[in-house]
Amino acid sequence: MTQENQTIPAQIHPDKVYITSEDVVARQIEDEFLLVPIASGIGDMEDALYTLNETGRLIWAKLDSQKTVNMIIDELTEEYDAPRQTISNDVCGILNELVRLNMVLPVG
Amino acid sequence: MADFPELEAKLSGSALTELMCSVLEKGASFRFQAKGFSMSPFIRDKDVITVARVQKEKLQTGDVVALMNPLKKAVIVHRIVGKAGAGILLKGDNCDTPDGIFAPDAIIGLVTKVERNGKKVRSGGRSAKRLIAFISRTGILNTLILPLLRKIKRTFCPPQSLSA
Repeated sequence: MTQENQTIPAQIHPDKVYITSEDVVARQIEDEFLLVPIASGIGDMEDALYTLNETGRLIWAKLDSQKTVNMIIDELTEEYDAPRQTISNDVCGILNELVRLNMVLPVG
Repeated sequence: MADFPELEAKLSGSALTELMCSVLEKGASFRFQAKGFSMSPFIRDKDVITVARVQKEKLQTGDVVALMNPLKKAVIVHRIVGKAGAGILLKGDNCDTPDGIFAPDAIIGLVTKVERNGKKVRSGGRSAKRLIAFISRTGILNTLILPLLRKIKRTFCPPQSLSA
């Protein structure tokens, strides 16, 4: 499979594996997928409550400590009718944000 | 495809309970904004409170706890004003009547910190909490003492009137 030119934020490495942090509570509650990071022993809903949209949820579910970023992009490209570049931009954008917030960590 | 994660979400009572329990199960405390006036003046509307997991057998009269009120389907944060057998009697400090008797297992957690305008509110020691629980249970807290204190405050610290 050929890979198109990708615009990937500096922090996200396409051949790296990322996992969800243990210091995050992630729950599907009613219509929302909520993330509450736990910092210094406190889950702070007042100052740090996040939701993931549908794309974010799909990506979160694929962070299984086995797949690289490129593998996730490949899977989503097969599953959804959208250009690989578009999916790549979405995946890397969301991962970049989650890494910035320490909710997702690189493996190794 | 959607964009970046959104901030903030509005939760129902049962959703808030589920989220709070999930955080407490990890051994962490849960910090959120209080809504309402039932615990005024000790906890006011928009105060930020921190709830921690607590061993049920360590709960004492005077403790302020969080639980899910099954009738209102909302999280309430009220004070333990007494015990009835194995049950716990809860009441809001600014409420006329108690909430009722609840099983200790219904308690989600213990309030360990109250913040107002970015500063920690002093909650007093064990004796102070027990005293508040006692006078709250008798009903004189919000029918006599608090109105009297408000009147004194208005007398000595009248609100400033706006000049035309």
